[in-house]
Amino acid sequence: MAGGSYSRRAFLQQTAAAAMGLSLSSCGWRLANVRPTNTASADTSKLYIFTWAGYTDKALLEQFTAETGVSVVVDIYDSNEAMLAKLQSGGGGAYSIVYPSDYMVRRMRDLDLLQELDRDRISGLDSLFEPYQDPSYDPNNRHSVPVSWGTTGLVYNRKSLGTEPQDWDFLWDQREKLTRRMTLMNDTRETMGASLRRLGFSYNAEDPEAIRKAFEALQELKPFLANFTTDAWRDRIVAGDLSVAMGYSVDAVGVESENPDLGYVIPASGASLWTDTMAIPVTAPNPDAAHAWIDFMLRPDVAASVTKSLSFATPSRDAFELLPPDISENPSLFPPDDVLAKCEGLAPVGASTALYERYWNQLTSG
Amino acid sequence: MTQTAPPPNTPGSLDSVPNAAKKHWVGPWALLGPPGLWLVLLLVLPTLVIFELSLVPGIRPGDLVNPSGLDNYTQIFESVYLRVMLRSLLFAIGTTVVSLVLGFPVAYWIALMSPKRWRNLLLVAFILPLWTSSLLRSYAWISILRPTGVLNSFLGIFNLPALDILNQSPAVLVGMSYSFLPYMVLILYSSLEKLDLKLLEAAADLGATPIQSFWKITVPQSFQGIAAGSLLVFIISLGDFINPELLGGASSMTVSRLIYNQFLGPTQNWGFGSSLSMIMIFAVSAAVALLIRYGNTSSGKV
Repeated sequence: MAGGSYSRRAFLQQTAAAAMGLSLSSCGWRLANVRPTNTASADTSKLYIFTWAGYTDKALLEQFTAETGVSVVVDIYDSNEAMLAKLQSGGGGAYSIVYPSDYMVRRMRDLDLLQELDRDRISGLDSLFEPYQDPSYDPNNRHSVPVSWGTTGLVYNRKSLGTEPQDWDFLWDQREKLTRRMTLMNDTRETMGASLRRLGFSYNAEDPEAIRKAFEALQELKPFLANFTTDAWRDRIVAGDLSVAMGYSVDAVGVESENPDLGYVIPASGASLWTDTMAIPVTAPNPDAAHAWIDFMLRPDVAASVTKSLSFATPSRDAFELLPPDISENPSLFPPDDVLAKCEGLAPVGASTALYERYWNQLTSG
Repeated sequence: MTQTAPPPNTPGSLDSVPNAAKKHWVGPWALLGPPGLWLVLLLVLPTLVIFELSLVPGIRPGDLVNPSGLDNYTQIFESVYLRVMLRSLLFAIGTTVVSLVLGFPVAYWIALMSPKRWRNLLLVAFILPLWTSSLLRSYAWISILRPTGVLNSFLGIFNLPALDILNQSPAVLVGMSYSFLPYMVLILYSSLEKLDLKLLEAAADLGATPIQSFWKITVPQSFQGIAAGSLLVFIISLGDFINPELLGGASSMTVSRLIYNQFLGPTQNWGFGSSLSMIMIFAVSAAVALLIRYGNTSSGKV
């Protein structure tokens, strides 16, 4: 009897203590502070990867497991921001590998979310193409290793359009005809950037006036859009429900092989040039396997085979040289230098981020 | 939806046990403790955290939580967001009306006119779709409604003009009504089942037309079911995310989509998302209060 009431009191005390701890810490707590998980409980036979849809396939994972004995679990995300939010809210403690894009590498590095890589455990860094040896978003690839690169342009169905779009202007000029037959990406920086670029500004414009003009142009286009979506356009353009969609070049190459009427164009006024990388979060429970994964993905034979099977554009010169000409000469995947010269990488926009997001909320809400 | 209170703790035959007094509090604690703890830890505390975040203007992950004002709430009153809320409200009301209009005849037929031994089977058949994932059901509607989809192929057979409704408001309404109709039917069924048929006979004997007796007897008697079903459908459709996200388009933003965008979508403003969430919580709480008030009184008044 005494035992019963004691345990109840103890329970209440503990609950009160726990509740008090919460309220005390809430005096100055930081929203979603990322802390390393307890590494003692880490299971070294498993590697959790957080990546984009279509960046791994079964054969690739099986090959890695066969070579290293580490089994791989893959989760996917559809925007850099979603990945960051998951990591920051503490829901990403299991992942030892993430795939941030260029500007997100910089942001995550500034937030101290990425480990410095142990370069001795990664071979193949020297075989990267020259622009990827020392990228501006991550000097000397200290926190990330590029795995794929590409552009953001327009995927179109040349049969239903009867013509081939050349520039972003096409969407605005033909908007009546394209009512609910076109999509833009559900991505603040990419879509606002395309509109900025069409008006002659930079993808990374910070001038409020330029950003406002880009927003107004998009608002003009919005009633004619089917949706804002980053990858749900793929099935629908293959089926013929959409005529033109804004998308990543790697996705475009994927759908081109499913429907020969589809084509991809890098708009003439310029597009965004992106690099997706592999990086190791500071909270990674299994950094050894993570380094092994990066090393594995950089190996020329592996990089060449994923370029073929997953339509990556590999940044590795050794892998590029192993590619058959129909892939290495595909202009959607490896555009010529004069086209690339007009493209621009996304960079963090500092205090203007809030302005971009405010306009984005207004655009998608209206 | 009749929420009869659980019978009070009756010690019963345990009275003979010497320390029965102890049982008096052990029973309720054992019964209420786990769910109470569950509610406090997983509902009350998180709601308080959301409330705190809603008071920090423009907070994003990694920022210091320092409640300092109602800016997030004033932002909601910008016309563009008021329009989003109005749209959510209209979707919810529309779904409720469609579910009621479609669900009432079905429930009436199952409860009163179908062969008695088939009733349970019919009811199960009607709620069977609820056993599949709601995500899957929305995807099914995509393949039905899209321009080259099932619906238009069917219309094409009869040389009817093609319908282009995917990515627009009607598609959202179709998906939501389809998803929540079974709830409406279930609740209406349990209410109509109790309908006093003698009153209908008496009305007919006294010369009332079927329409008169429907409005004067059937509807008032099943009013609580109608109210409960409507409020339940209203509440779930107000918070629905999947249908507006998948079936809606660039111009069918709802509050739940907007909240998602603030936390996991392209824009990251947890403060604004939290204030929107608080508004939703209040709206749903008000609806639940109505549900308890009108959907749960015992049928003594009839």
